[in-house]
Order: sequence, then C-alpha cells, then structure tokens
Amino acid sequence: MTAESRLRSDRTAPVQPGADPGAGLIRLPAFWIVLALVAAGGVRMALVAGRFLGTYPLATLTAIGLFALLAVPFWFVLRELDFLEREPPALLALACAWGGLVATTVSIPGSAALDDLVAKLGSPHLAADWGAALAGPTVEEIAKTLGVVAIVLVARAQVNSVLDGVVYGAMVGLGFQIIEDIVYALGAVALAGRGDHIEPVITTFLLRGFLSGVWSHTLFGALAGAGIGYLVVRADRPWRIRLGVAMLAVFGAWASHFLWNSPLLRDGLGNGALALLAVLVCKGLPPLLLVLLLVRAAHDREADYYAVQLAKLDDHELITPAELEALKSGSRRATARWHARTRAGLRARAAVRRLQRAQARLAVELSRGTTDLGPWQREARRQRRILAALGHPEAVAPDGKGPWRRTASAVFTTALAIAVLWAAISTLGGG
Amino acid sequence: MNLLGALSLVLALAGLGVGLPALDRALPADRPVPTDRPYAIGGGVTVVPPPGSRIDVTGTRPTDDAGTALFRLGPVRYLITVRRFEGDLATAANGLRQRITGTPGYQVTGTELTVATGSGLAGLQGGYTAPGRGGRYAVFVAGGRTIEVTVSGADLDLGRTLPAIDASTRTLRYDPADTG
Repeated sequence: MTAESRLRSDRTAPVQPGADPGAGLIRLPAFWIVLALVAAGGVRMALVAGRFLGTYPLATLTAIGLFALLAVPFWFVLRELDFLEREPPALLALACAWGGLVATTVSIPGSAALDDLVAKLGSPHLAADWGAALAGPTVEEIAKTLGVVAIVLVARAQVNSVLDGVVYGAMVGLGFQIIEDIVYALGAVALAGRGDHIEPVITTFLLRGFLSGVWSHTLFGALAGAGIGYLVVRADRPWRIRLGVAMLAVFGAWASHFLWNSPLLRDGLGNGALALLAVLVCKGLPPLLLVLLLVRAAHDREADYYAVQLAKLDDHELITPAELEALKSGSRRATARWHARTRAGLRARAAVRRLQRAQARLAVELSRGTTDLGPWQREARRQRRILAALGHPEAVAPDGKGPWRRTASAVFTTALAIAVLWAAISTLGGG
Repeated sequence: MNLLGALSLVLALAGLGVGLPALDRALPADRPVPTDRPYAIGGGVTVVPPPGSRIDVTGTRPTDDAGTALFRLGPVRYLITVRRFEGDLATAANGLRQRITGTPGYQVTGTELTVATGSGLAGLQGGYTAPGRGGRYAVFVAGGRTIEVTVSGADLDLGRTLPAIDASTRTLRYDPADTG
C-alpha cells in the first residue's frame, strides 16, 4: 500500500467484506416484514396509478415513460460507483422499491399532516412559506433512511463499507424521486383541468427532471445512506460516535432538502434564466459537492482495500501493477477501456471491461476468504489471452495526454447539459 | 434481534404514516376570523368572510403570488383559490368544471350564469352534485390570475348558508398593489 493510499484510508471507514446473502435470507423475519411492507406500498401506489390511468391514460403513460428514462443515467452512475464490490441486483431493486413504494406511501399522508401541524401550531402564513421546507424533508428523509436500515436488517453482510451505504441510500432515493415525480406530473395534469393532455407532464419533467433532478432525493438518500453505512461498518468506534455520525449524515440530508425546498433566494436574485440558474446552483451545488467528496473518499477507501487483496496474488497474468492502479479509480477504469478501443478496437474494449469485472470479483472473493477462486481466475486469464491476441495485452490507462479526448468529451457533455438546462428554464418562462 | 429491528421499522413507519395524521386530526383546525373586514387570500385578492364563518388553517395558504383560503360555516366548506393563469374566463371555467367532474361521482348541474362582484370582477357561476352533497362553483379572472370559488355541503346546510356565502363572494376584490 502506498503512502498516499494509507493516508486516504485513514480518513474514512474500513471495508468489512461479507458473504452473499443466499437462501439464508428467507429465514430472517425482517426479510418477510420488509417484503410485506413493499407489497403493501405496491398495492397503495398501484391504486393511485390505477386512478390516474383511468382518468388520464395518455398523460400517465407519458409520465411513467419519461421518468423511467430519467432513472437510466442515475442507474448507470450508481452501478459504475459500485463497480468493485457489486451489490446484488435483488437488493438494489428492494432498495429502489422501498423508496418508490414504501417511503412514498408513508410520506404522502405524513408530510401533509406535518404541513397542517405547522399551520395549526404556527400560522397559515408560516405553513405557506416554510411548510414544504419543514414537512417534506422531515418525513421523507426519515422514511427513506429507514429503507437503508431495512437493507441492513435483511442483508447485513452486504453493507460492508460506507460506499455500500451510499449506493443503497441513493437507490432508495432514486425510487422515491421517480415515483414522486410521476405523482407530481399527474397532479399537474389534474390541476390544469384540460383533460388527458401531456403538456403538464412535459413541464414537470423539465422542472423536476432537468432543473432539480441532479440535486434531489438520490443525492439526499446517498448522504443519509453514508451515515448508516458508517454506523454499520465502523465497529471499532464507540457506539455513540457511530450513532452521532449517522445522525449527522441524516441531518445533512435533511438540511440539503430543507435548503432546496425553502423560500430562501426565491426572489433574491431577480428574474430571468440567469437568476434562476444562479438560485439552482446556490441551493443545489453545496450538497452536491459535499456528497461527491464523501463518495470519492468512500470509493477510494474501498478501492484501496480491494487493491491490497489483489496485490497479494502477485500474478501478472491475473493483474499487473499498472492494471491495479487503473482498477482503483472509476475514471482510470473508463480510460483503460477507451485506450483499448482506440488501440485495438471494440473487442478489446469489451475484453478490458470483462477483465476488470473478473479482477474486481476476484478481489471480493479473496476478501471473503473464498477457497475456490478458479472461476474468476479462469475468466481473467481468458480475457488476458483475448487481449494478447488483439495486440493489447495490458488493460492500462495511459498517463499524460492520453485521456484528452475523454476530457474534451466531458467538457462537451457538461456544456450540452448547461444548454439543455438553459433551454428548459427558458421554456418554463424563466428567460 | 432481527425481528425486533424489523418491528421497530414498522413502528417508525406507522409513526410517520399514521401517527402524524392522527396527531393532526387531534388538533382543531378552525380559528375565528373577523367577518367585518377583508381577508387577504393571496396574490392580491381579498374577500370579506361570511358572518359566523371560521377559517380552516389546513386549507389556507396565503402567499404574495397565489393562495387559498378555506372558510367553514358549520359543515359547509367555502374554498377560494387564487393562482397564476394565462387565458380567458371561459377557459378558466372549463378547467374548473373538468376538475370537479374528474372526481368520481361529481357532476356539473344546470347552466352557468354570469356573476359580478362589487369591485367589478366578472365571473361565471354554476352548480354540481356529489354523492350525499351538493355544491356551487364560481370563477373569476383578474390580473393574470384565476379566482376559483367552490362551496360544498349537504343540501339542507347549503340552502341555509348560501345567501351569506353569495354575499361574501360579491366582496372579492383584486388589488395589484398587494401582489408579490
């Protein structure tokens, strides 16, 4: 382990590898209780969806289609984040279902009641200005965090790093975000009073999907999930510290959500698209940066841990030192794939991806103390032979000017995203 | 331990989804409201509440730009909603009708009549029925906003309170100086 990696390891929580949940899961009472909660939430949301589908079939199908599409980039980002120690798809689906079915089912009446309580104990003016900022985050962040707790109860061994908490928290948030957006879109259709029209759905999609999609429930959920991850894996710390950190993370999610929903800066920066963009950035960027830093630290810690496991193999046919370095970072993994494609074509790119997957799986199995590593070793060697045959034997990320195209591509994508954001704001009347 | 954890989870969810609404229902929602002077609904719109009415704070959300005010006269609900709107009176009335009939069992009855407030706002008014209750709606357009009035209650209660509510509706006033 290098001095740099030791340092960054010291900063974050350790990794505690666990075994696959397997069939033992069904012997846990929590599994059946969580499943029952998801089923009850599913029935409740199906009734809501059925009512909308009966009244506004076209708008409902459009909303489901658009917001489901919005989930795709989030899903890919989370899966890349989760590259080294992949979470079981069934548990990710369970986390997503909790967010979309259980947390929403509880939050709809809970938030409305808390908003009413603000009006009763304060005043209608207070509720009109601050009700959304107080009620929504309080009920929703708790309901979503309980989703990560549910995953811990169902499959404790799968939450073995802070990053796992981030991934499950973000998945809960993603499920919540998609279903909430669909409900909002159909509420806008009903409010418009023009029958089964899709314009309110498109407007909601631009507003909630593009303008506030990045700094929304997925982000808040990731932050709270990191806290639960810390609580679970940092067994070496006193209980009160772990609980304190978890509560601080949930409070961070609440505060980010509160800031986003609050009337602060509502009129402070004037009118027009630029002012609206500035408000979005002021309110959304601080939590986004905080989560990105947190995720980076948690990812580095996990990467360091698994790199140490792989280094023990000392077999360059399975992984070379340069590949080990590439495997530790998402951008270097992607650069290695890009480098393979430019040097040896698409087949080489696919082979590098499969090699990286095999190496990551090997690291996880090593950490679990699995005795039979044969399947993953064979897969790594097979991909190595394919790469050698293609004239690109090592899955490395070139140093220096190599990744400039990827940098240019990232700059272009960011510029395109800002242009789309601008167009969305202008379409919504901000310009 | 696992069972205990799962049951705690259920308890926490119940607290949010059932406990909070129960606590909300346990606290009274209506408050006295002065009926001798205009009440600011939001978006620059005011109304003089009917005598004997109380304001329901759960349905009242005044802001600079828009707002709602829910008054209660016994079991009769008198709701006024102000929101931004780009269109004419006919479109606004059509939208309100569609929302009323979008609720299962709700039907618009009779023909719409033109109405006017004391401050000169022109509007359209109609009636609707629902299982076990009846209702009245009116809609006005002023200053890029719609002012929607819906009244609902049992027929007997409506018959008794509608004259006072009609008189209140005629006091609706839009003043651009009060908008945000």
